[in-house]
Amino acid sequence: MVMILAVINETELVTRAQNGERSAFSELVCIHVQGVRNVIYRMCGDVQIAEDAAQETFIQAWMHLSSYRPQTSLCSWLYRIAVNAATDILRKEKRILPNALEDLQLKDPQPGPEAILSQAERTSLLQKAVLSLPDASRAVLVLREYEEMSYQEIADALDIPVGTVMSRLNYARKLLKDKLKQKLFLQMEAEHV
Amino acid sequence: MSKHVTDWLNAYLDGELHGSQLHHAEAHLAECQVCEAELRSLERLSSLLHEISAPEFTSPERFAAQVNLRLPRQQTAISGKKILEIGWWMVPVGLLGVWIFIGTAFVLSDILSAANNFGLLSGISNWLSFGSSNGIYLSSTLGQAGLLSGNSLNWAEATETFTRMSLPQISLQISIALLYLSWIAIWWARHTRHQRQQHGQLLEG
Repeated sequence: MVMILAVINETELVTRAQNGERSAFSELVCIHVQGVRNVIYRMCGDVQIAEDAAQETFIQAWMHLSSYRPQTSLCSWLYRIAVNAATDILRKEKRILPNALEDLQLKDPQPGPEAILSQAERTSLLQKAVLSLPDASRAVLVLREYEEMSYQEIADALDIPVGTVMSRLNYARKLLKDKLKQKLFLQMEAEHV
Repeated sequence: MSKHVTDWLNAYLDGELHGSQLHHAEAHLAECQVCEAELRSLERLSSLLHEISAPEFTSPERFAAQVNLRLPRQQTAISGKKILEIGWWMVPVGLLGVWIFIGTAFVLSDILSAANNFGLLSGISNWLSFGSSNGIYLSSTLGQAGLLSGNSLNWAEATETFTRMSLPQISLQISIALLYLSWIAIWWARHTRHQRQQHGQLLEG
């Protein structure tokens, strides 16, 4: 019941915002900002960049709100803009982060149960591994793993076929497993023994 | 043992397999250690990825206020849509206006024609009442040529008068009625589609 009311409320807010009502748009921003910032953060790995790109996302959304069609989810529509904003920003920032993955791996050439990483190191390694993925695969992975969207929702959000979602997701996970195999997988197995 | 289901494991993990594919994958996983191990590694990867926690951002309200300050003053794209929407609702009003105008014009024309026949508008009838003062062209020409006479000439004159005076009026009114009915049909289709979309959204919600 609460969900139904929320959908009705959102539809009404969208209509009011499409008529130029800023307060209605601000309410929509409050509802979706967390998801949008999370997606961008997972895409680019920097809090400040995520804040800036999220602002850009909502400004773009406001400017193109008339082209939004209620038959698609507003969330998916915003995520599409967010992913594009994140990709643009990474292109401008010359993507410095991903190479750091190799640096971190080189510090410890012989991983094993004795070389347990600290939580911070582990998180950093994971994040860098995610950031080193190709943009298209990373976007699909982020929407699936962190936003828990279905394949169809991801396909709608990124405007790609469901089959492409599946292949990109398979590719992203395979790459990540390969990148993290030496470090984290062995460590996890050691922790479970 | 059936063929490995490695290609389906991601979809299986994400709950995207259904029906026979799901049964097949489950049956295979129950007996294949290779695919089972692959599935476990995918699960480990997923749990690892969730170790990256989301950072602290500014509050949504503050963020919304910052965005609000940067929003352009006008949504130029909306004005076009609004104009289209207003135009759409003006269609039946316009059709009604045209119908009233044409009806009035024909009634006035008939009144002037009748007045002319009674000789009340002898001086100005030629330019006020179109059609009626011009006489009957074809039938009278045929009568003068001796091709029509008597009853057939009267029928031809009556038919020509009807064709020239009443037929345009009837045709125009039918055209307006058809346009109006088409507008109602399109409105109904749009209305039904909109209701279906809202219903779909509620169900998805």
